Amino acid sequence: MDNTGPSRLTAIALAFMAVIWVSPFSWLILNAFNPLSTGQLEIPKAFGFDNFGLAVSGNAGRQFINSLIIAAGTATLSVVVGISAAYPLSRLRIPGRNALLWTLVLLRMLPSAGVLVPLYFAAQRSGLLNQLGVIIALTILNLPFTLLLLKNFFDTVPIELEEAAYVEGASLLQIVTKIVLPMSRAGIAVVWFFSFTGAWNEFLLPLIFARVQDAFPMSVGLYAAFGQQGAINYGFLTAFSILYAAPAIGVYFLLRRNMNTGFAGVGVKG
Amino acid sequence: MRNQANPWLTGNLFVLVLGMLPAIVLIGALLYFTAWAFAFSFTDLALVGRKSVEWSWVGLENFERLFTRRGFLESLWTTVIFVFFSAIVGQSVLGFLLAATLRGTQSTIRSVVEVCIMLGWLLPDIVAAFLWSATTSQTGLINQLIVVPLGFRPINFINEYALPIVTVANIWKGTAWSYLLFSAALDSVSREVVEAAKVDGATPFQRIWLVQLPIIRPHIATNMLFITIWTFTYFPLIFAMTGGGPGRQTETLAVFLYNQSFARGNLGFGSAISVAMLAIVGVLSLFYLRLLREPK
Amino acid sequence: MLRRGFLTTVAAVSLMAASALPTQAEVSFMYPEWLSALVEPGIAAFQTETGETVKAIKLPGQGYDQRIALDLSAGTAADVNVMDSFMVSELASAGYLLPLDEQLKGWDQFQYYMPGLLEVASYQGKVYALPTDTDVRMLWYDLSNFAKAGIPTPWEPKNWADILDAAQKLKDAGVQYPFQLPAGTKQAEAATMQGVYMALLGADVPEGDRNRLLKRDTNQWIGDSPALRRTFDLYAKVYAEDKLNPADLNYATDIGAAVRSALANDQLGILASGSWEDACLWDCNNPPSREVRDAEVAWTPWPGSGEPGTKKTTNISGGWTIGVNANASDKDLAFKLVTAIFDEGNFKAWTLATHRMAVRTDISESKEYMADPFLAKATALAADTTGRDTVPGYQTVSALIQQATSDLVDGVSVDEVIQTYHDALVDEFGKENVVTYE
Repeated sequence: MDNTGPSRLTAIALAFMAVIWVSPFSWLILNAFNPLSTGQLEIPKAFGFDNFGLAVSGNAGRQFINSLIIAAGTATLSVVVGISAAYPLSRLRIPGRNALLWTLVLLRMLPSAGVLVPLYFAAQRSGLLNQLGVIIALTILNLPFTLLLLKNFFDTVPIELEEAAYVEGASLLQIVTKIVLPMSRAGIAVVWFFSFTGAWNEFLLPLIFARVQDAFPMSVGLYAAFGQQGAINYGFLTAFSILYAAPAIGVYFLLRRNMNTGFAGVGVKG
Repeated sequence: MRNQANPWLTGNLFVLVLGMLPAIVLIGALLYFTAWAFAFSFTDLALVGRKSVEWSWVGLENFERLFTRRGFLESLWTTVIFVFFSAIVGQSVLGFLLAATLRGTQSTIRSVVEVCIMLGWLLPDIVAAFLWSATTSQTGLINQLIVVPLGFRPINFINEYALPIVTVANIWKGTAWSYLLFSAALDSVSREVVEAAKVDGATPFQRIWLVQLPIIRPHIATNMLFITIWTFTYFPLIFAMTGGGPGRQTETLAVFLYNQSFARGNLGFGSAISVAMLAIVGVLSLFYLRLLREPK
Repeated sequence: MLRRGFLTTVAAVSLMAASALPTQAEVSFMYPEWLSALVEPGIAAFQTETGETVKAIKLPGQGYDQRIALDLSAGTAADVNVMDSFMVSELASAGYLLPLDEQLKGWDQFQYYMPGLLEVASYQGKVYALPTDTDVRMLWYDLSNFAKAGIPTPWEPKNWADILDAAQKLKDAGVQYPFQLPAGTKQAEAATMQGVYMALLGADVPEGDRNRLLKRDTNQWIGDSPALRRTFDLYAKVYAEDKLNPADLNYATDIGAAVRSALANDQLGILASGSWEDACLWDCNNPPSREVRDAEVAWTPWPGSGEPGTKKTTNISGGWTIGVNANASDKDLAFKLVTAIFDEGNFKAWTLATHRMAVRTDISESKEYMADPFLAKATALAADTTGRDTVPGYQTVSALIQQATSDLVDGVSVDEVIQTYHDALVDEFGKENVVTYE
């Protein structure tokens, strides 16, 4: 075991940082539980769950499912497509592969505004103005990031392990699934989570791709808080955004628990 | 060339290429779409109206206007400051320090800190903007808890320190990503190497600086590239908090780009701005690429 | 393997989508959420009357303009659409909207629409959409702060000098925001409509459209004029030279809330805004009683600049509209849905319940409407209103105006701001479409 464990001082410093980090949330919590919320930072005169009732009363259930489909779908598709391309990219000596990947990532700087119009027309022609279309579009937009990250993680898996497995008669599929993937588990989880949160927060694509309002995810539902002439329902906004962020945080912890039982702590023979 | 001698790879070249096929198809689609964005920078394409259908080629006019019209150069400077302090100094360094410290910490503290930074990352941009403007307003948290009890007049932070405030807000919002990436990267450093260094009498600092950092160098370079790109193009938080103001104090290139392509509706000019941003970050990334190279 | 699975899925989903297409006529309709109270009873009435079903899609206000532009250009738009009035001319010029004149002839309630208000929904002499409501613009002022500054009320400024004079007195009396004049890109359309255009209309004589952004007879944008210079001068005085107002309210995250809290804390002097503030200065949905409101604030029309020959008071109107897609599958049915929404009973009930300003005389002259003292008085202003420049390009010009006010807040000189504005107009529309007035 690693016994470089932190001194009490580190723990205090971390706790202090956590307090600072979390203190702005006081506004969110105070407004969410205040039925008469005005968007100001103040101690509520009343306390209640009315805002949460309001937040789940509309289409929130349906929107939650849609968010989950879009986010999990995008993350899984990105990771599957990414892994099957990143492993060869990591192992085969393809000339200029780093430059290629970096260029692709750089190209993603071009704003989705410019990409949006051709993307929309392409989706319309292929009959993909629906959630599958959103998933594919987001996967396309994610792919440069996913590829580069996954390749980096595969690069750190020592090739000697694969050699040893090959000598013992393992096939390519076995080598990948039994050695490479488990060894890069943390990295794959990060990439999956990255795609998941990106898609979870995506607003514009689902908004313009959806043909019926039952197809909207929570990111669109959030904007029900904004009325005309800048009238904002802060109670709804804060309560809804807590409900909106919570599942993604839950996903992170599920993911992390599974990560911890994996590679960490297992020795690697150099 | 060593890799090519690996028989489980050379024997399965066909399968490997087949595996890359979906990615190649999707990347092809991406290139097709981005080619449009490139092409638009040489046109007068508009967001709505007649010129959104009947656009025409205007040559390099849009690029000339980057330098002859007010806005671009001013915004570039604001962006450089914003990216340097919020992404490179803030998110990256803080993210790494947190990842390195928390690795050895008991799980409760780790969980608490992780929830805290993850909340910022996962909160919708627009809500984060409200939260930060409420925190820094004249009746907000900082004034009520610190400034006023100390006997000062409440400070209107967004009016007086707009750029520092959006910088801090962006650190708060984005550090989770660097933390996650560095945590996973440190996870892939084998324990033996660290243990060996410890046996050799290395201090914790030396273990990080001399042993772990060099191993995760590719991840650092990648992370620099990613957060530079994201922060360069990141716009919802600033836009919602200050709209680029007061005046032009927080008008980063991303906000400028939005104003030109959407408010003004000139997608052609907007595309030219983003191509210029691409070129600038392209040059920056050459520096990051040097990090990738082994110092040997 | 993955690739094949992917293609199969694509094919399957496309088939499903195709088979889900309606075989019989059906009307689709897209509207923003905040207009539900008007359109939903209309949809219900339409469905009972015709037996047809309406496929409605309700969107948040955010991203609405973008989606409708994309939908119409890709041919995926609904048959009937709600849109901001400034979009009408843009969309009509691109051929996406159906001119309604033919159908309107056969609708007995069309006669009640006020012609001046149809202007915002027309393009090249044809009506493309019907307005839902209108608004007027004025100067609101805080009564207690006026008393504190020793300015007699009711306040009736005759020209800009009177406004600046009052603002100076308010500033001297310690009011934090003496004259909140919307400025900057964050204010977006409010900076153009509630600020610049209200001043501009009174800054020069109306002849030859010298007091506007657009010379309407030749369709040329005005790149430089005495009116523009005077208006920008007013901004420079307020924000830079005389520092009659700090800029920060214009850049607040939630501008509406910031203004409301400034009013509640007695920090507001004069506020250039519009008729909706009668409720929205407190809480748009639950304003306090008439007495409470009247005791706190009052309003006065925007005066002209005082230059010879200029208008005594100014006003400009915007609003939202409902129009029909040029490619609607059944155009008559689509129009029928529009009339069902705007049918007197439904339209009047909504107008009254939400305290909107009516666009039709049968509603504005009704007893219930006249009983509201604010609406009755404000409607008088609407009689002398002018629409936005509803020609393609307005959105662009408006954005450039907002940028100009941003620069004025930053202290850039009026000459330089005019130069930047003029150059940008030429960039966008070409030299031949920009004029200057001496």
